[in-house]
Amino acid sequence: MFTLGSVLDNELKSTVEDFSFETNFSTNQLMLPNIEKPFEFAQSIIGLEKDLQENENQLMFHQQKKEERKERALIKGYKGTTTLAFIYEKGTVIAVDSRATSGQYIASQSVQKVVPINSYMLGTLAGGAADCQFFLAHLGRICNLYELRNNETISVAAASKLLNNILYSYRNYGLSVGSMICGYDTRGPQLYYIDSDGSRLKNSLFSVGSGSPFAYGVLDAGYRWDLSKEEALDLGRRAICAATFKDSYSGGTIKVYHIDENGWVKISDDDASELWYEYEKKEKKEKK
Amino acid sequence: MDSLVGFVGKNYVLIAGDTNAGRSIMRLKDDFDKLVPIDSHKILAKSGEIGDGNQFCNLIIRNVSLYRIRNETELTTKSVAHYTRRQLATAIRKNPYSVNLLLGGYDKKDQKGSLYYLDYLGSSKKINYGAQGYAALFVGSILDRFWKEDLDFEDGLELMKKCLREVEKRLIIGTRCFLIKMINSDGISVVEKVMINSKNKNEIEEEN
Repeated sequence: MFTLGSVLDNELKSTVEDFSFETNFSTNQLMLPNIEKPFEFAQSIIGLEKDLQENENQLMFHQQKKEERKERALIKGYKGTTTLAFIYEKGTVIAVDSRATSGQYIASQSVQKVVPINSYMLGTLAGGAADCQFFLAHLGRICNLYELRNNETISVAAASKLLNNILYSYRNYGLSVGSMICGYDTRGPQLYYIDSDGSRLKNSLFSVGSGSPFAYGVLDAGYRWDLSKEEALDLGRRAICAATFKDSYSGGTIKVYHIDENGWVKISDDDASELWYEYEKKEKKEKK
Repeated sequence: MDSLVGFVGKNYVLIAGDTNAGRSIMRLKDDFDKLVPIDSHKILAKSGEIGDGNQFCNLIIRNVSLYRIRNETELTTKSVAHYTRRQLATAIRKNPYSVNLLLGGYDKKDQKGSLYYLDYLGSSKKINYGAQGYAALFVGSILDRFWKEDLDFEDGLELMKKCLREVEKRLIIGTRCFLIKMINSDGISVVEKVMINSKNKNEIEEEN
């Protein structure tokens, strides 16, 4: 069985002559299982709905029928969560829920979906929890090494590019990662969306997960660049609240973080269902 | 879902691409530039998966730069097209890049623009006009009807807008915003970022 750990060890090793981080990451030697056609093997076990459809069109050497492959797909990837992040004048706001589901069963209501990469960068988790946690922690290690080797803080663009290149090299292996890298560096607040398909997009607001359409609705309606800090935090909180209300795969507690030039700070941690009814009460009071 | 349209005119090449980047039914970004410059006089317009497009275009750009540094000479559009095609063809049976490309460039030696159509399967063809994506279905016939050799820049831009208008009108997936770039002897320049609203009588609004 191939292990990711031994492959990534190569990336962490370095010789004394290395003063840039580039040399080790170019020799990204993947350890493949010792069989013919390793990609097919990976795809036959891990069946993402999207990959099954796309591969039918594109890979000409696939001979198995679609039904056969679906049956053998033991591990299904999904993104049952809601995470959002946006940048505004004064920094970056990140808001996430904390529910983990496996099928119809709620596995946990208290998952940490925000992983700190360093003191001024956070990464969010969506998709496969194990994949996200591992790769974001690994990104943290690489960023730390970069700072030690180059004596300067790593930019958000560079960190997101590193993660993007790693995930791209594993793109046919059925990983499920929909992460946002958010931070504050010399260029100001930055936000990148990184995907296990290999996409990397820069924008001022993103929402990822099964509840993202619901979050986008509230977010797009209230977003402006010149929000005050209170308004921005409230917007993020309300958007996740709306998503947890509508999406059954999102819920638990709503955690809100803020990143500015001083680093990241956890702002609040509220129960999603209670928050919804608190908002309702507030509005009833205001009407009176 | 990506729409790319391009054609060759009198001493220039016009390429337009939509500015949507999305995932399944959602639009993640509406100002995404798909017309990537390879060097000062060549554009690689990418369509297909975002990740594959990014990585593959980076590969081509870096290798063209490396050639220029090693040999102190720029590659012609034809050479870049051949190199790109070869990369796609060797990858198709191992780890295919699902990108379809339009490569447009201006060669100072010939003083002419040229356009190449490149496919994820490794096909490559020099064309006078063409499109990638669903736009190709609608725009193909318009270009067949109205494209002529040696179109002036104004006529060319009008023809491009005619094509984009058709894409916006008939493609059910909403693509209103397009970015038009031109390559001529002076290099690459952004002509316009247009937002098309076919319900208005004054159909095209310029967006800066």
